[in-house]
Amino acid sequence: MLLSYLKFAWKVLLRRPFFTAISLFGVSFTLMVLLVVLSMLDDAGGNHAPELRADRLLYVTGVMQRWKGGGWSNSPVSLDFYRRYVRTLRTPEMVALTSQTNSMTGFADGHSLTLDVAYTDGNFWRVHDFTFLAGRPFSNAEADEGAHVCVLNAHSARAFFGTTAGVTGREIELGALHYRVAGVVPDVPTVHLFSSADVWVPYRLNAESFGKSALFGPYTAIILARRSADVPAIRAEYQHAIRIIPLPEPQHTLGIYSFADPALASLVRSVFGHNQDADADDGLATFWLLLGVAGLLFMLLPALNLMNLNVTRILERSGEIGVRKAFGASGRALVGQFVVENLVLAAVGGLLGLGLAAGALALINDSHLFAYANFGLDWRAFFWALGLAVVFGLLSGVYPAWKMSRLPPVEALRHTGGGPQ
Amino acid sequence: MLRHLFRLIWNRKRSNLLLLSEILLSFVVLFVVGSILINYGRNYFRAPGFVHANVWRLNLSAPPDQDGMPRPVLDEVLRQVRALPGVQALSLGSGNTPFRFISSGGSFDRGGREVRFASYHDADDDYLRTLGLHLREGRWFRASDDAAVRRPAVISQLMRTKLFGPQETAVGQTIRSKDANWEAGQATPTEYQVVGVVDDVRESGDLSSNEPGIWLRLVPHDTTHWQGAAVLVKVAPGQHVALQQRIVRTVAGTTRLWNTQVRTLADDRLDKLRATLGPLAALALVGLFLVLNVALGLFGVLWYNISQRRAEIGLRRALGATGAGIGRQFLLEVMLLTALGVAAGLLLAVQFPLLGVLDVEPAVYGWGMAGAAAFILLLAAACAWQPSRLAARVQPAVALRED
Repeated sequence: MLLSYLKFAWKVLLRRPFFTAISLFGVSFTLMVLLVVLSMLDDAGGNHAPELRADRLLYVTGVMQRWKGGGWSNSPVSLDFYRRYVRTLRTPEMVALTSQTNSMTGFADGHSLTLDVAYTDGNFWRVHDFTFLAGRPFSNAEADEGAHVCVLNAHSARAFFGTTAGVTGREIELGALHYRVAGVVPDVPTVHLFSSADVWVPYRLNAESFGKSALFGPYTAIILARRSADVPAIRAEYQHAIRIIPLPEPQHTLGIYSFADPALASLVRSVFGHNQDADADDGLATFWLLLGVAGLLFMLLPALNLMNLNVTRILERSGEIGVRKAFGASGRALVGQFVVENLVLAAVGGLLGLGLAAGALALINDSHLFAYANFGLDWRAFFWALGLAVVFGLLSGVYPAWKMSRLPPVEALRHTGGGPQ
Repeated sequence: MLRHLFRLIWNRKRSNLLLLSEILLSFVVLFVVGSILINYGRNYFRAPGFVHANVWRLNLSAPPDQDGMPRPVLDEVLRQVRALPGVQALSLGSGNTPFRFISSGGSFDRGGREVRFASYHDADDDYLRTLGLHLREGRWFRASDDAAVRRPAVISQLMRTKLFGPQETAVGQTIRSKDANWEAGQATPTEYQVVGVVDDVRESGDLSSNEPGIWLRLVPHDTTHWQGAAVLVKVAPGQHVALQQRIVRTVAGTTRLWNTQVRTLADDRLDKLRATLGPLAALALVGLFLVLNVALGLFGVLWYNISQRRAEIGLRRALGATGAGIGRQFLLEVMLLTALGVAAGLLLAVQFPLLGVLDVEPAVYGWGMAGAAAFILLLAAACAWQPSRLAARVQPAVALRED
């Protein structure tokens, strides 16, 4: 039954190439746009190098202090805060430290470079999975004593030395200091907010490490859970730890808030402003809901278009519908058949859309809109494409199918054929 | 004629409703995308109000401990940089230098008139010369302002029109900041004395709109709590890396605690342009795709409909209607349907300026509506052209025999 529907659907697709082409254009471009957006989101929050264990990673990106007179201060955390409240957590396997990147000017034979420099500890290299192109990371001991060593990404290694090979042990000049190159890693897309930089150096060398503020500093804490199931427990333990922080300047301070969130959740939380209330959720559920609604709205116009074409072309099929009805096919069977036909069309469009999305992402990568971008599609994108195609097929197929199935058989048999000459 | 066309449309109301909703939706999409693009396009052709060529920015940042950036050290650094051969002028100010992703703003008022958001800068006496601003009235800051009771301020022309009537003189008047937040700890509004008016400065990039701007004279001694200083450096034409490196080394020669960054404003401008153009290009592409999609669909539907109505056409031809008359009828029918959709879309579009959905001037909405309406009508006409010609060519004998 289904097989004959599928065969039929294929024949219908081939019967009028012009209309099929119009329909496929609509379906494939719509799905392409949606797939591009989804794969960008996936890149920001999914398991991609160097965050191969993203499902086990949590980030403390900042701390917020709310004032009694209204207003708030929000900043990444200080070294002291990290040592007192993050490093003391018991559930995680490991915690690491990285600063926001600072732009610094470096010089290499005859040209100046603006490089993003991050200050990290040794654990930073253990919670992430960097594949070293050359050399090695710096250790916790080196980071603690402030050894003048650095890790370069491939881009800055090439900018300084013209090559990524054999550069370990050589020196670079950056700002006012000289550093010995310990290792070289591949470029990390800047979309990976917490692991992307051009140069990594020991946190001890950061003058901002030893400021006077107890809470505010330049750092983000990275927490690695033993297994992904531990993530809720770690978030709860961290909330507990934050709640018992003694308030600085208690006469002015209303409260202190800070959260340990997975990468995408921390981004969404700060966008939604859910970081000023200890009980607020990370807003990820709302975010996906909004995204879903926006996606449906975006699909509406092409779906209407396809619906329009389908409704218009009912008469073309009137002979077939009349015969099937006269021989006793139920309305439901006819609806099923036409919906399957539309789903086949949408599925073909989905596959085309997948190809188009791959091309669009390659273009975006080449355009350097996002530095070091490396967006791509994986097997999950295939299922996304299929799922979206089904949604689109149903959105645009059900009403025309219902309308077709209601064509009275006598009327339908009277005009056979028809359609443009 | 028109009544007849309306009746024809009404007779096929079910399928026309689908077409109508499609036209309405595409009108709204075109209107929104068009308004945004028109807005940016208009901005691109406005004068920037300053000269970015051969200006570099030098950013210094210090660790946030007790000392911050002591003024004597900062002055010594700036004196040495100014003395470098190739450096023509130099100005110390706040971090929101042109084309950066940093902005500071505040509300200001004077005698019942208010500016909700004015881009706010600290600037020293050399800022005008370094950045090539154009003075319209009054003067820029000068050393004798040290004795001023109120902090001197220079405002942009747009800010002047918002705070002062056309007949009033702005120079010498007092304005005050309404928002005490950006000067922490001050409960009462601070007062400033306007000493000059400059041409509008669009510092947020080539595509940004005019915003009211205000420059406050850098108070000479309050840098101790600073964690960073932004310096604009005007250099002689043709200066390159060698001078950049010399600047970094000069700073390092005075203090090793500070981070330095030297970058040309031309590079910053490209960064900003790229960051603004990226989403804009994506928006335009998505809009274009939707329109193309609708156009193809419309064409298909019209072509098909007209082919279905061959009997009607044949009958009219047999009763003496000319081919051209038939073609005109179909074209008009489509245009009428499109106009109905556009009219409904206009009702929706009018809500945008009323609710202030997009951050653009009212005139831009008008152009957006007119542009979208014209575009959709043209599109419909183009899509209906070929099918209408087909209809006009129908031979009555052939068409009537078929049925």
